[in-house]
Amino acid sequence: MSMINVLIRVDAICRKYDKYDADKHRNDAGGGDPFSRLYAAVDAEIDAAIEKSERAARETNRAAAVTLNADVRRIKARLMEEVIKLRKLAAKKVKGLSPDEAALRSDLVSALPHRIQSIPDGGGGGRGGPADHNGGGNDRPGIKFDSSAENFDEGYFQTSEESEEFRREYEMRRIKQASMCPWNQDEGLDFISEGLETLKNLAEDMSEELDRQVPLMDEIDTKVNKANADLRKTNVRLKETVNQFRSTRNFIIDIILICVILGIAAYLYE
Amino acid sequence: MPSSARISRRNRMPRLLGTKLSFTRWNADWKSATSLYEQAAIAYRFRKDNEKAKDAFEKASKGQEMISSYPSPSDNMSISFNIPWDAAKHMESAGALAKELGLWNEVSDFHRRASEFYRECGRPQPASDALAKGASFLEDKAPEEAIKMYDEACSVLEEDGKEQMAFDLYRAAASLYVKLEKYSDAAATFLRLGSAADKCNAINSQCKGYLSAIIIYLYAHDFQQAQKCYNDCSEVQAFLNSDQNRCAMKLLSAYEEGDAEEIKRVAQSSAINHLDHVVIRLARKLPTGDLQAIKKDLAGDDGEDSLDENDLT
Repeated sequence: MSMINVLIRVDAICRKYDKYDADKHRNDAGGGDPFSRLYAAVDAEIDAAIEKSERAARETNRAAAVTLNADVRRIKARLMEEVIKLRKLAAKKVKGLSPDEAALRSDLVSALPHRIQSIPDGGGGGRGGPADHNGGGNDRPGIKFDSSAENFDEGYFQTSEESEEFRREYEMRRIKQASMCPWNQDEGLDFISEGLETLKNLAEDMSEELDRQVPLMDEIDTKVNKANADLRKTNVRLKETVNQFRSTRNFIIDIILICVILGIAAYLYE
Repeated sequence: MPSSARISRRNRMPRLLGTKLSFTRWNADWKSATSLYEQAAIAYRFRKDNEKAKDAFEKASKGQEMISSYPSPSDNMSISFNIPWDAAKHMESAGALAKELGLWNEVSDFHRRASEFYRECGRPQPASDALAKGASFLEDKAPEEAIKMYDEACSVLEEDGKEQMAFDLYRAAASLYVKLEKYSDAAATFLRLGSAADKCNAINSQCKGYLSAIIIYLYAHDFQQAQKCYNDCSEVQAFLNSDQNRCAMKLLSAYEEGDAEEIKRVAQSSAINHLDHVVIRLARKLPTGDLQAIKKDLAGDDGEDSLDENDLT
């Protein structure tokens, strides 16, 4: 095992068991002024937050990842407030402090916000950040939102020929449209989008209503089928009964009545 | 008038035939009494004699109840299976007549009994309908009672798993709460609507319910609650991807910035225009109270910290 390996491993172990180092903590807690105390606390929190975010990144359960990220975000917000305090503390003059150290402190404090913001918190999802109009997190990795101070070189802000052309075309189109029709294209699109929103809401309501009525229709269907079957059975029975009733008795009654009438007629004509 | 003669005769008949025990009659003959009472009730209602009609319906319903609880081996299958369906229907008619007469406690009583009968029949839908009708009768005169009845109606449907029918009831109950100015209860009702909609996969209603709850909290000038409510609702994936979520986000950020113009503009947006009209009215009245007070609340924590800072040194 090479020296480098040994050094790295010893470093990792020391970091892991730092919290058990009573001497170091006594030094930190007892000595120093409020600034160094607060700074140490903020430092520890930043490390904890970084660890949490790493855990969140490794987490497979989405819900747990979301809660961890939310935690990290909250810690970051709190830390940003602490930074403001630290700044004020750093600006104060403390006796027994060399001017070098004072400068060092202000440097440390100004480096803090950057460290805090760089803690990954799951990539800015739908919550928080009212300025985030994407509403669902960054799906395309190629699109960057804030260009950091990378490419602000000479040519960055110069207008090129192409951009000049685009601008000229835009102006011409605008003039043409303004002269031809009273509406701007933007306003027309706004109008259309409003109408579409209304349509969408109506359609969604209608779809929910229909969903509600589907099981009711099924019930009606079953009940009507049952009623239908009952009616058919009843009809058949009725037909049988009527037929039965007709066949035997009617005949006899008919014959008797005919005899009676013949008898009466014979009597009348006698 | 022939009908009145018929009515008076019919009215006497139940008493003669029906219910009183006498020397020759050992059991009360509820069946014929009930049918006579029913005819009497219908005739009274036709003549607009509400008082007597209501009494007749009540008695008819009692008769039906008696019939259904003492099954006789002779007649219909429905009677021997103990179905107090007609009892429930008569109770409902009696309740409607009581409303005409203005006897409010009787209205609620009758409708509750009707709904119990329906539940005995194993039909929760008419049970909740009976309660809802009673509640709508009582909305003006006894709103507390009406809210309780709406609540019962919703729980009946929830037990049976038919929450989709309950949406209207939730909305009515919430508008009553708003009328009584109990805003946190109203918001809670909307959240219940949201969870019921979640079970039936009715995402649009769910999102509208959540947005309504947030607006009500803001109207009650309770920004912290609104914020908490919004955070809770954002846990739900369906809400997160909806128009209503965007609208709520804009509204809350406008509040945070204390921008009254922006709030008014968001309140005119179409997502809000499709909510319940009570909520729309509340939204149009936003912002209530002092926006600066909200900003001071939000910044209040920093103020306390500065005190602590002084204590350290």
